[in-house]
Amino acid sequence: MNRKDMLGLRDVSREEITEILNTAERFRNVSERQIKKVPTLRGRTVVTFFMENSTRTRMSFDLAAKRLSADTLGFSASSSSTKKGETLMDTARNIDAMKPDAIIIRHSAAGAPHMLAKAFPWSVLNAGDGINEHPSQALLDMLTMRDHLGTLDGKTVAIVGDVYHSRVARSNIFGLTTMGAKVVVAGPGTMCPPSMSHLGVEVRHSIDEVVEDADVVMMLRIQRERLQPGMMSTVNEYSRFYGLDLDRLNKARPEVLVMHPGPINRGVEMSPEVADGKQSVILEQVTNGVAVRMALLYLLLGGEPMGGDANAV
Amino acid sequence: MQSDRLILRGGRVVCPLTGTDSVRDVIVQGGRIVSVAERSDSAEGRVVDCAGKVVAPGFTDLGAELGDPGKTWREDLSSGSEAGAAGGFTTIVCSPRTDPVIDTPVAVSEVLGRAAAVTGARIDVAGALTVGLAGEKLSELGRMAEAGAVAFSDGRLCMANSALLRRALDYARPFGHPVMLRPGNQELERSGVMHEGIVSSQVGLRGIPAAAEELGVAQAVAFARLTGASVHLSQVTTATSVNQLRHAQIEGLPISAAVPARHLLMTDSAVDESVYDTATRLLPPLRSDSDRVALIQGVSEGTIGCITADHVPLTRLEKELEYMFAKPGAMGLETALSAALTAIDDVHSVIRAMAVAPADVIGRRASIESGAVADIVVFDASVRRTVCGPYRSKGINEPLEGSELRGEIALTVRDGCIIYGPRTL
Repeated sequence: MNRKDMLGLRDVSREEITEILNTAERFRNVSERQIKKVPTLRGRTVVTFFMENSTRTRMSFDLAAKRLSADTLGFSASSSSTKKGETLMDTARNIDAMKPDAIIIRHSAAGAPHMLAKAFPWSVLNAGDGINEHPSQALLDMLTMRDHLGTLDGKTVAIVGDVYHSRVARSNIFGLTTMGAKVVVAGPGTMCPPSMSHLGVEVRHSIDEVVEDADVVMMLRIQRERLQPGMMSTVNEYSRFYGLDLDRLNKARPEVLVMHPGPINRGVEMSPEVADGKQSVILEQVTNGVAVRMALLYLLLGGEPMGGDANAV
Repeated sequence: MQSDRLILRGGRVVCPLTGTDSVRDVIVQGGRIVSVAERSDSAEGRVVDCAGKVVAPGFTDLGAELGDPGKTWREDLSSGSEAGAAGGFTTIVCSPRTDPVIDTPVAVSEVLGRAAAVTGARIDVAGALTVGLAGEKLSELGRMAEAGAVAFSDGRLCMANSALLRRALDYARPFGHPVMLRPGNQELERSGVMHEGIVSSQVGLRGIPAAAEELGVAQAVAFARLTGASVHLSQVTTATSVNQLRHAQIEGLPISAAVPARHLLMTDSAVDESVYDTATRLLPPLRSDSDRVALIQGVSEGTIGCITADHVPLTRLEKELEYMFAKPGAMGLETALSAALTAIDDVHSVIRAMAVAPADVIGRRASIESGAVADIVVFDASVRRTVCGPYRSKGINEPLEGSELRGEIALTVRDGCIIYGPRTL
């Protein structure tokens, strides 16, 4: 893969996505060993720069970098505190002065990773920018789907919830449609506006309609703390119309995969029985996250071609 | 400023008001045009060869944010005046969005007093419609008019209180000055940073629906009908706004409008193509291509009378930020003519929209005729140039930077004095 940054899946080709997923598959066994470390990125410096809260994404990237033997360094600040003082560009100039090789950034503003990628020589990995993209999450989702379905081509993925304001959903939409999957979305009218069809998805408003013939049902988290007024009425009503419970799931194909980017609001978008049920692959997603992020760091930082470095892996 | 006798020789004089479009010599003396003749043998005074160029009435802009007093890191009266001159403007009405706000007769006098010393475009003042631009209490419109304000405006801010806006229009009417409004809606614009449409959904930025502006236009039309006050919409940018205006004008309502020059050329796809370049963050935002086409049509048919530079100079401090945190706005004075000429391939329409119509909004006559104030612009309408600095404005936010545009200002004359032009000309 010949690119400096991973900013989003919108402009990533089918070949590149395949290469990332294949590479991730081969890195997966590192995490199964007793010594969970390969020397691939020894001597390289990876900075995690999280301007928004994160637990799993940050841990996952951190582990990925450490399992590749990179030196990692964390930096976090709430965007409000940086707004009071140092600008993002100034913070980045300071980090730059310490000569990093890659920066993993999460930021509340769409386009913030792109701004750094344009201005600096190091690799930028977008770990979520505003409502725009979260490419590593979509890649780990696609790896999980591919594990079970064999291919993404021709498969139907239903995404349910606040699709419009979800960077996870958007990255999945870009990636999945590139890989030949069909994406159908459902959710409240405020969260699944008809204009979303421009992104190449089918917009429906009933969860039953999309669950019926889906190979994958991806439930999104309702971010109650971030909802603007008027986006929905009550959590109860949301759950009644757009939550996934066993009754609804029983109408789906028996082999359907249930996914969720986490953290789950149990009882809101998904009942506990569904979250813990046999169709749920939610924890596999988390495991795959480390492998996908190892693959991204490896490919962006120009590791040896996998074939020639097989022993290291 | 000292005005000498000036002979603009052999240019194509285009004056929509007198219907002139032919090669003429224009003689200027004592700050006024004294002769517009086919051929003048007089060589007394400074002769400027204008062959191959267009000689037109100087441009007027009705709403530049000059930030003076209080925000002079962005612009001041002097730099704004020079930037205007470089863009062919001879009159700039400065927005009251300053610190403190120009909302008292004293503030109007203070700015006009300092503006008397500028050596570029003439600077006039729009007084704030409401105190502090807060949309809560009417300013002393009458006393500001006495002090020399030529219009009333709340700048870029949209009044949330409809009842107050209605009263403001009723109250302003007897003073005879236009009320300039940006059609928009605070609530609908609050979280958006670009036009809501296909591109916003692709790049993941929150959008401002066209409906926000269209509600504002509908409200202004309804209030122009209700109050009979003269309303000037300072920025209209959507296809539906143009339709609404067309109907209002057929009805004969006293409502005029301007479109920012860059909106005739650029669309929301610039946000994507520039990879979130904050120079493209504007209010009103860049719209879709179908809006752009409708705006050009609106100018060509006269529904949108004016083209504005929509000049909002900002600095690195305000633009070198994440897209959503960057301040909206772009410079425009130095590129408006080129943007307009590139979008509208008709010199007459452009001159009408940049000189005649905006001057008319504030009760002035922009013409090239004997006896007229010598506010004149000379430009090459066909040369192509790539937009680049250095700019006379203090701003750094020129979204057209790097674009190849048509047209270049050669000379600007205000009150008979050359305020812009290469020395050799």
